[in-house]
Amino acid sequence: MHHDFIDRYSRLESPIHRMPVGMKAAVTLAVVFTVVLAPPSWILFYVAAAIFLMIIAVLSRIPAGFLIRRIAFFELFVLVIALLALAQPGGGARFGAIILKSTLSLLTVLLLANTTPFNRIIGFLGRLHVPSAMITILALMYRYIFVLIDEAGRIQRARESRTFVRQRTRRWIMLASVLGRLFVRSTERAERIYDAMCARGWRQ
Amino acid sequence: MPSVAIEAQDLHFRYDGTSQEVLRGISFRVNEGESVGIVGPNGAGKSTLLLHMNGILPTSPDKSQAVRVFGLAITGENLFTIRQTVGLLFQDPDDQLFCATVYEDVAFGPSQFGYSGEKLVSVVESALAMVDLKGYENRSPHHLSIGEKQRVCLAGILACQPKVLVLDEPTHGLDPRGKQHLKTILHSLPATKLIATHDLELVVEMCSRTLLIDGGSLITDGPTLELLSDESLMLSHGLEKPHILRHRHPH
Repeated sequence: MHHDFIDRYSRLESPIHRMPVGMKAAVTLAVVFTVVLAPPSWILFYVAAAIFLMIIAVLSRIPAGFLIRRIAFFELFVLVIALLALAQPGGGARFGAIILKSTLSLLTVLLLANTTPFNRIIGFLGRLHVPSAMITILALMYRYIFVLIDEAGRIQRARESRTFVRQRTRRWIMLASVLGRLFVRSTERAERIYDAMCARGWRQ
Repeated sequence: MPSVAIEAQDLHFRYDGTSQEVLRGISFRVNEGESVGIVGPNGAGKSTLLLHMNGILPTSPDKSQAVRVFGLAITGENLFTIRQTVGLLFQDPDDQLFCATVYEDVAFGPSQFGYSGEKLVSVVESALAMVDLKGYENRSPHHLSIGEKQRVCLAGILACQPKVLVLDEPTHGLDPRGKQHLKTILHSLPATKLIATHDLELVVEMCSRTLLIDGGSLITDGPTLELLSDESLMLSHGLEKPHILRHRHPH
């Protein structure tokens, strides 16, 4: 199975894709921080930021539909937090601010992830002297998240193929056992990966 | 006299917290340049044996002197020399391809062993050329077929320029074309080979000598054709006489 959930369009050809990683990472951080810290009353600033991001999105040739769907997906998580804000006095404005800030930040990070292959971001972190243990963890996470998703899919399918009744409680029990299996398999795999690393000279 | 590449002498092993021995006094020798097959039923101890060949097991290597590689016992000091001498190919390519790109993965071994700069690039390039994967440098492992993954794994080992290749089920999960391709590549490599597999045809084609292991003990050590043709021996250890030997006429 092929997965590209994290960085489907990261290997397209465009002026944005060709830009140096460091510049893109710096701009991303700058935009996210200013968007998060700017007071909600700076309407013009938010409009400018939105226009800037849209120009980058168009230049990068990433399909708009993809960006919108991705933002909508992550927005679900934001919504849960934003809804809590509604319970406070003056919550309406706060709700709006949270949605606006998070949407712009999400778009910024999505643009970085889809214009830069992950291994180049990792390489950039290395040049910044981010601790190597941290980088190894990130790199292994990116490498194995897809293997894990495949494995979960296979376990789930095997279970479903032998499930003949629909029952809500049973589905929860099933989900729990899939997660359990997945945990055991991942631990075993981690041991084998570690052995494979040692076999090629890895020293802690 | 060719020199002895690998020597195991009365090798015993038991996993921590278990009472049963997985390896019960195995002894054998592999000469430099030889290709030796290891066959046996599931759970015979083949994979555990292979993990001893470059010091992954036992986990504290100083205690055991049972395995020697080119005369060198596997101890803490020469562990890394031995790991460079013996390349270990694991059964599941996904366990072995742990880097984000093919290039990084093949470069992992040699960079651990001190290669860098242009020398590293040329070692990686030539390893990829040996497995017919030139131009795959920037591909991600999760976008490759199983056959391609297996060949990248092999390149990752070849890049360390080992003298001995230890392969655990190298044809596992490969389609016939993938198998053929891998065999051609393996044939072209001059290194000493130790191959554990259920693919008995592979053993017939690649190895002149075979070790039969069952229940953690070495049952027989002999010429491949003689050993695999012995139908009653094969059946009594959960194996079978391979098809290519079945239809071979005596004349």
